[in-house]
Amino acid sequence: MKVLPPTQRSKKRYLAFEIISEAPVRREDMIREIFSAAGSLLGDVGSSECALRLLAFEDSMGIVRCSPDRTDNTRAVLATIRDVKGTRVLCHVLGISGTVRGATKKYLAGADIFSPKEQSHINE
Amino acid sequence: MVESGFYDLYVCSGPESSDKVEELAAIAKHLGYSGIAINYPDDHKDLNVTVVPEGIELFSGVMIRTQNASKLHGIVEKYRNKVDIITVNGGNESVNRAAVENPRVDLLTHLNTGQESGFNHVLAKAASDNRVAISFDLGDLIRFRGGSRVHALSNLRKNLQLVRKYDVPFILTSSPVSCYDMRAPRELIALASLFGMSREEAISGLSTIPETLISRNRPPEGYLYEGVQVIGTEMTGEEGDDIK
Repeated sequence: MKVLPPTQRSKKRYLAFEIISEAPVRREDMIREIFSAAGSLLGDVGSSECALRLLAFEDSMGIVRCSPDRTDNTRAVLATIRDVKGTRVLCHVLGISGTVRGATKKYLAGADIFSPKEQSHINE
Repeated sequence: MVESGFYDLYVCSGPESSDKVEELAAIAKHLGYSGIAINYPDDHKDLNVTVVPEGIELFSGVMIRTQNASKLHGIVEKYRNKVDIITVNGGNESVNRAAVENPRVDLLTHLNTGQESGFNHVLAKAASDNRVAISFDLGDLIRFRGGSRVHALSNLRKNLQLVRKYDVPFILTSSPVSCYDMRAPRELIALASLFGMSREEAISGLSTIPETLISRNRPPEGYLYEGVQVIGTEMTGEEGDDIK
């Protein structure tokens, strides 16, 4: 089959985010939690319009893909995530980009994993 | 990345919070806030915030939880000169009413009485006249699911309507009790858009309105006494006299 030309492909946005959590979170659990949060907040219709998809996720950093006019809804969905399989988490969106490469390069590369406990000791 | 000057004036601390003020401050700074107010309950012994972290401003606050509207004014006067922000936890109609009618109160939170929003056109008018801010508690949208979130959203939507009509000052907060309840300013803007708040309104609720609440309780730089303020000093003549 002929490949869909780039001009015909639907546009997307890529949200780079980090997870601040008590314990490491597994990718499968994270996916389940994002879709459950989206289903609860936006419903089935809203979720399909949002076209959420979790791409990369490792070491508490990840990229979520969504529809370009639903970035606010996607942010809200990520903000409503409180815990993943019993681990309390905080989801922080680092930035939005039009390409995976841009999101990785600009927001994820070189970013450190943040831990509130360690940070407060540095401040003391 | 995030514009500076975002404040969350309703960070709760005290016995029910497991996290230290240092941790709350560190995480708030990481999320892009430039200041937070640490609210202690009114039975807490030491209300002053002693921690001085780098890169973020901490304000002291007191959270008044009373069910008795007639006692409220006395409690407010007791704390007025001790803390930066006085917050009243509402919850019944008479307390809500007393709080918005007292210009010495800064912030009214937890307005909802049961299923009702606890806010109406009479309270809105009083809050606007006395410049008492009300809080849009976005923590409810994070904590609840299903039916209670539906109620929370419709209450917030109704409050927004009144706030717009009567020009009531308002702030956005995620009302965090622990580190993991905190949300970044942009996430709060996204949550506020769920009930129809525009981006500009949300930004003012996170930056300019909290700033005015704080500055009215803190004397400005060069303050001498009521109505007199040093604007700048200038060196003139060889003696180097200061002209004020």
